[in-house]
Amino acid sequence: MRKVSFVRPKDSSLTKKGNRMAVAFFGVLIVLAFLPVLLVIMSSVSSEQSVVQYGYRFIPHEFSLDAFRYMGESGSTIPRAFLNSVMITAVGTLLGLAIMCPCAYALSRKEFAESKLLMIFFMIPMLFSGGLVSTYMVNTQVLHLKNTYLALILPGLCSTWYLMMLRNYFIISIPDALIESAKLDGANPFQIFWMIAMPICKPVVMTVAVFQIFAYWNSWYPALLYIDSNHTELYPLQYVLVNMERSIQAMNRDAQYLSGMNSVVPPTVTMRMAMVVIVTLPIMILFPFFQRFLKTGLTIGAVKE
Amino acid sequence: MRKSSFSRSRRRENRQLRLMALPAVIWFGLFCYLPLFGIFFAFKEFTPVPGRSLLENLFIHSPWVGLRNFSYLFRNPQSLAILGNTLFYNVIFLVAGIVIPVFLAVILSEIHQKKFTGLVQMALVLPYFLSWVIVGYCVYGFLATDQGQINSILRFLGREGIQWYQSPQYWRLILILVGIWKSCGYSLVIYLCSITAIDRTLYESASLDGATFWQKVRFITLPMLRPTIATIFILSIGSLLSSDFGLFYQVPMDSGALQEITQTMDVYVYKALMQQANFSFSSAAAFLQSAVGCVLLIVSNVIIRKVDPASALL
Repeated sequence: MRKVSFVRPKDSSLTKKGNRMAVAFFGVLIVLAFLPVLLVIMSSVSSEQSVVQYGYRFIPHEFSLDAFRYMGESGSTIPRAFLNSVMITAVGTLLGLAIMCPCAYALSRKEFAESKLLMIFFMIPMLFSGGLVSTYMVNTQVLHLKNTYLALILPGLCSTWYLMMLRNYFIISIPDALIESAKLDGANPFQIFWMIAMPICKPVVMTVAVFQIFAYWNSWYPALLYIDSNHTELYPLQYVLVNMERSIQAMNRDAQYLSGMNSVVPPTVTMRMAMVVIVTLPIMILFPFFQRFLKTGLTIGAVKE
Repeated sequence: MRKSSFSRSRRRENRQLRLMALPAVIWFGLFCYLPLFGIFFAFKEFTPVPGRSLLENLFIHSPWVGLRNFSYLFRNPQSLAILGNTLFYNVIFLVAGIVIPVFLAVILSEIHQKKFTGLVQMALVLPYFLSWVIVGYCVYGFLATDQGQINSILRFLGREGIQWYQSPQYWRLILILVGIWKSCGYSLVIYLCSITAIDRTLYESASLDGATFWQKVRFITLPMLRPTIATIFILSIGSLLSSDFGLFYQVPMDSGALQEITQTMDVYVYKALMQQANFSFSSAAAFLQSAVGCVLLIVSNVIIRKVDPASALL
């Protein structure tokens, strides 16, 4: 990777005054970009009564965690969906890497005879795809994925982007001499891949992993297509959110059932926002740790050297 | 003797490499190549016989209709409006998606405090990693009729609240703002990375010659960014007829009153397929998306290669 040089203050083309203006400008921009998320978080910790009266506000009129408590007490919809999402994310990410990494390594080797041919094979889907209709028909009628966990995992496993990203990194960062000497010691390609290539290429593998984690955690479209309303136990968290109104009804029913008929009035309005917070929170917590890898990925993916 | 054992080991090695590539080949075969035969959906009238396999239904039981699905698509005023919507939003996103992030990246790269630069990137790229469902509810927090932030402000100012999800006239602007808000940070990081990779001595010598800030941007930064801009341009023009399903379905909360303004090709294909089971129609639309995207991608790449070979993608 090319060494990136940073601007030192004395090299910058901005004057002191210009710099202050730019900082102020971006300060405003940060606030603007973050406002919508802040509004959701603040609304979720407001009391139901204050939201009904004053609306969603940046500064809660009355602080309350009722919405979260209610969701915890109202049956298994949310915990189940949370587990589904975690499971789908973990399995999808790991399985995808297990398929893409060895393939990318094989493609990166000059001595691999079919390398060029396979590159074309993997590139064509980037140019042309069958479209939603036939994808849907094949997944439901040929592969029989309707109403299974597999429908939420398999379609997102691989992508040509990640494959190329991994391959390029394998080519750039593993010295040929290293592989040749390992071969002289009698190592086969599997061993070289696992014991030499993977440890060296950990940064890019982590980058792909992080992108996939976000993609799976955020995915709801496959659930919309392949999971019908008779299989709510398969819903990932994001899809519970898509079906917000119906989910809230189901939770109210469960809550009434669990607590007898004398349950409190459900905090419907704040619960909406509380559910959004539950889905977003893992992303917000992981984001600072993942940021390093995201940047590597964005750079390798899009900047042509 | 030596030679044959050498080539035998080469052959074994190649076999093992092939084995390593095999799972990915199978996956692409099942999930990318198998749906390709679905192109035929667009040229047939799909009349499935219950209990038969998909392939048999498609190739034996469904009659060829030539281009009828397409002519229906182009004569239907509703689908023309949807085509228009899709192009409208995509052209705006194409231009705004280059101009705004490049502008921001150019200024951000010159800011003295590097810690601050990192903070800006992180804050602006965060929306990119939120799902459209979440973005939809973030927007809802502002636009909800009774509890929304904007209506609260309007009432505070003594005005009537607006029923946002029933008022199509505002939604072009809303969708454009939301789309830019979500994707701008991502492109910003990409452009910023390519700007920091520019050789600083170019700027130093320009300063010695007395160049102003905007002259340096005009004659150094922008020309050096050309390959990155070209890459992003080619990639986004390839999806000229595709649209972000989430933005146009989830953010307007699938509100019927807004359909005229918010419906784009992907929403249309989805609804035709899932709600009306209209296979021929939706597959013709999907085929159009794919074909136009493919042609545009190749053509724009050829043109860019003619103008500036270093910037071309393929």
